[in-house]
Amino acid sequence: MKYYRALSKTAGIVIAIIIIIGIVAGAYYYISQQQITTTKLITFVPLTGDFNKDIINIGKALEQDGIKTVQLSVWSGGDPNSVMRIYGVVEAAYRINNIWKQNNINVEIKVTTRYVSNPNDVYEDYINKWSLGQAPDIMANGYTYIASLASEGYILDLTPYLNNYTSFLNQFYPTLLDAMRWNGKIYGIPQDTEARPLYIRKDVAACAGLDLTGLVEKIENGQFTWSDLYRWALKVKESGCAPWGLIHRKGSAHPDLIQFIYAFGGKLYDEKTGKLVFDKAAVYKWFVVEKTFADHGLLPHDMMSWDWAKQIHPTVVDGKTLSFIGGTWHWFEWQTKAYYTDPKTGQQRPLTAEEVHKFFYYTLFPSGIKGKPGLTLSQPFAWMINSKAGEQNPNYDKLKDLYHELVFLVVVKASDPDIVAIHSLISGHLPVTKTAAELIKNQTWVNELKNLKVKLAPEVLNNIKNIIEKTVNPLNVQFLANVTYMLEYTTFTPKHPQYPKLASLFAEALDQVLRDKMTPAQAVNYIVEKINADPDLKKSVEIIGEIPQNWIFP
Amino acid sequence: MTKTNLFSKIKNFIHSDAFIFLLPAIILIIVFYLIPIVVSVYMSFTPLKNWNIARYIHEFVGFENYWRFLYMVTHDPTVRPIFITTVVFILITLAINVLGGLGLAIATFFMGEREASSTQLLWLLPRMTPIAVYSMIWYYFFHGSEIGTLNSILMSLGIIHNPIDWGQSIIPWGPWMIIIFVNGLVGVSYGMIVFTSAISNIPKELVIAARVDGASNWSITKNILIPLLKWHIVYVTTWQMLSLLTTYDHIFLLVEWGLVNRYYGTTWALYIYNMAFTAAEKDLGLAAATGVILVIVGAILGLLALKILGFEKMVKEPRGDI
Repeated sequence: MKYYRALSKTAGIVIAIIIIIGIVAGAYYYISQQQITTTKLITFVPLTGDFNKDIINIGKALEQDGIKTVQLSVWSGGDPNSVMRIYGVVEAAYRINNIWKQNNINVEIKVTTRYVSNPNDVYEDYINKWSLGQAPDIMANGYTYIASLASEGYILDLTPYLNNYTSFLNQFYPTLLDAMRWNGKIYGIPQDTEARPLYIRKDVAACAGLDLTGLVEKIENGQFTWSDLYRWALKVKESGCAPWGLIHRKGSAHPDLIQFIYAFGGKLYDEKTGKLVFDKAAVYKWFVVEKTFADHGLLPHDMMSWDWAKQIHPTVVDGKTLSFIGGTWHWFEWQTKAYYTDPKTGQQRPLTAEEVHKFFYYTLFPSGIKGKPGLTLSQPFAWMINSKAGEQNPNYDKLKDLYHELVFLVVVKASDPDIVAIHSLISGHLPVTKTAAELIKNQTWVNELKNLKVKLAPEVLNNIKNIIEKTVNPLNVQFLANVTYMLEYTTFTPKHPQYPKLASLFAEALDQVLRDKMTPAQAVNYIVEKINADPDLKKSVEIIGEIPQNWIFP
Repeated sequence: MTKTNLFSKIKNFIHSDAFIFLLPAIILIIVFYLIPIVVSVYMSFTPLKNWNIARYIHEFVGFENYWRFLYMVTHDPTVRPIFITTVVFILITLAINVLGGLGLAIATFFMGEREASSTQLLWLLPRMTPIAVYSMIWYYFFHGSEIGTLNSILMSLGIIHNPIDWGQSIIPWGPWMIIIFVNGLVGVSYGMIVFTSAISNIPKELVIAARVDGASNWSITKNILIPLLKWHIVYVTTWQMLSLLTTYDHIFLLVEWGLVNRYYGTTWALYIYNMAFTAAEKDLGLAAATGVILVIVGAILGLLALKILGFEKMVKEPRGDI
């Protein structure tokens, strides 16, 4: 016992001394920092709208504040070709660093990146890590997340910055800017957009004697609907030309399958009330269509749990389906990923641009109603800036505004026409600015890109050169030009904090319908029950319409 | 008890050797159990969501989350299957774990040393294998298509002609069978270790004497081993029951990979995990309230198990007349 008492006395004295020294040292450091910071720090630079002038002023301010390196991080996700969602920021930082160098400003931006296959994982990690101060400074992700992130205060309101950058803002297509708004404020800068074509295998259609001539026009004016596609798929199956008539995404109904709701004249959001809408009739019709396809062996019963790389893409590129609800980026992904089994060698390899062009016909998503035009759905990606951007850098509490301005300008730079155009040309997403769209038409510049002669940061060029070599060619440029018309028919999903919850119910119910565990009517009622069982969702969703009693498909 | 008495008792305890021995365990319990419980209870009275601690942590909503939980239990069509699944999963897996562990321990007791070691090692494999790898083995074994090992065996034997989607099409027993089987195999090894260790402490003289008297293996098991393992059976049963009530790791992967039905493959613990971590909106206040109720249920079940299995009788001090 004595031993413990003796030990605790000694330990007590040692601990007390350490604590006193710590407090004194901490206080001294704090006071000395206070003296430095109150006299010298420049915490804010008024933005003028002239990028070069602003970035130089910010660089000088940072230098004067004693900052030599600014650490930034960017996260994003998506298909393997869309890596400019992170390298766009790396390139922007490289260009800003060069401007600073040319003006003898001794400050450097260093960027760390993270890119994963599922953008939703990035969003979830962002949410989980924001409070810990570990979320990235910049995130490129779907605009649908803007509502929930902005409502939690996780992302920066960019409106005050953009007020000084109106000419920059005017480069973007207005519909895309609308998608970036929430509660009247702009929370994101468009990064890319896309269309979701219905791909039809030309060889499979030819095998079954289906004539594709004029199909684009027929879908545009509503002559060809889902009933017609069903009959085509049945013909393909009966003639043994392909085992499936339709393949689509797995896991989630958002965003690809949401097109069905619009195709049947339904809606998802009421502008007047600001509420989400659950349109029973349209959702019922969507489920009936999918069930009819599945019941006749035209669509797999377990479609919602197929594997993208092992099942979905190989089935599509190997010609085992008539049609595929995909996106413009898939046209490019098939050229870089080894999904195709070469009939001669039996080896898996990517398709060539010529093969993709030879195999696939593309058109709008057909309407479900005769005479109603087809449609597509866009989910623009946005650069979003963390409301604590720059937090891992020195003196954040005092230099917060300066860091925020810098990160905003990094995103402005990441929207340079060539960066946007490169992203489009290698990933199959559509350009978000008019200047980038013009650049894509410039054959000389496209050739320079193909020959890797464009000026890019070495890190960026090294990481994308393989993709450039496989994807930048006249056929793909032509494809981008050809699908751009689809944006005239595009639709969007709602920006509402509760929308992801509603969308996940669609996926659950559809899975049950396809697996024959629920009838379409039961699935619709199931969603209604789930909405009513969740007080938050119930408050946010207006349930409209009724399950049609005499509606038959096809 | 007066205040002075209580303080002097605490003071004496702190200065005792017992305290020094218990200190590491006390610290672990405080840091990893008591503090999280206090935090969970606190969270359950806040509207915390999407991990926005700074915004919601000071907002107090009273019993709102508990009310929402009750509302969901009575209105949400998917909650009922989850609770039924939890009950079935715990009862059957518990029986497999305890009886399987006991059976293995006794069986290896009657084996030669080398065979016993190999058998025990074999049964320890599920516990030694990383969760993801172990789950993936059974994912491919029970896969609903022709690539599933079970389907492919049955098809090659001509027992079935088309693959069966075990976890998705035979509701509810298909998914129940899979999650019980996968967790049961892991849990058996725990009981086996405890019972083997307990059997090794039974005086050998008892078994030798029984053998001399011509007792069979069954008779030794029934009359010597099992009565002397009562304490351990109570311990393993209670421990495994509480462990099963809160387990979700293997099940999470099997549900996530689409092997088993989302509702008849989800237990209460996984339901809470999904609510807090994977749902579109991370409803942490509600998840905390649901978790607190789970802890209360766990505590009641634990006490009931100890009561029913006669724990109190077993820990009574000997009367001194033995």
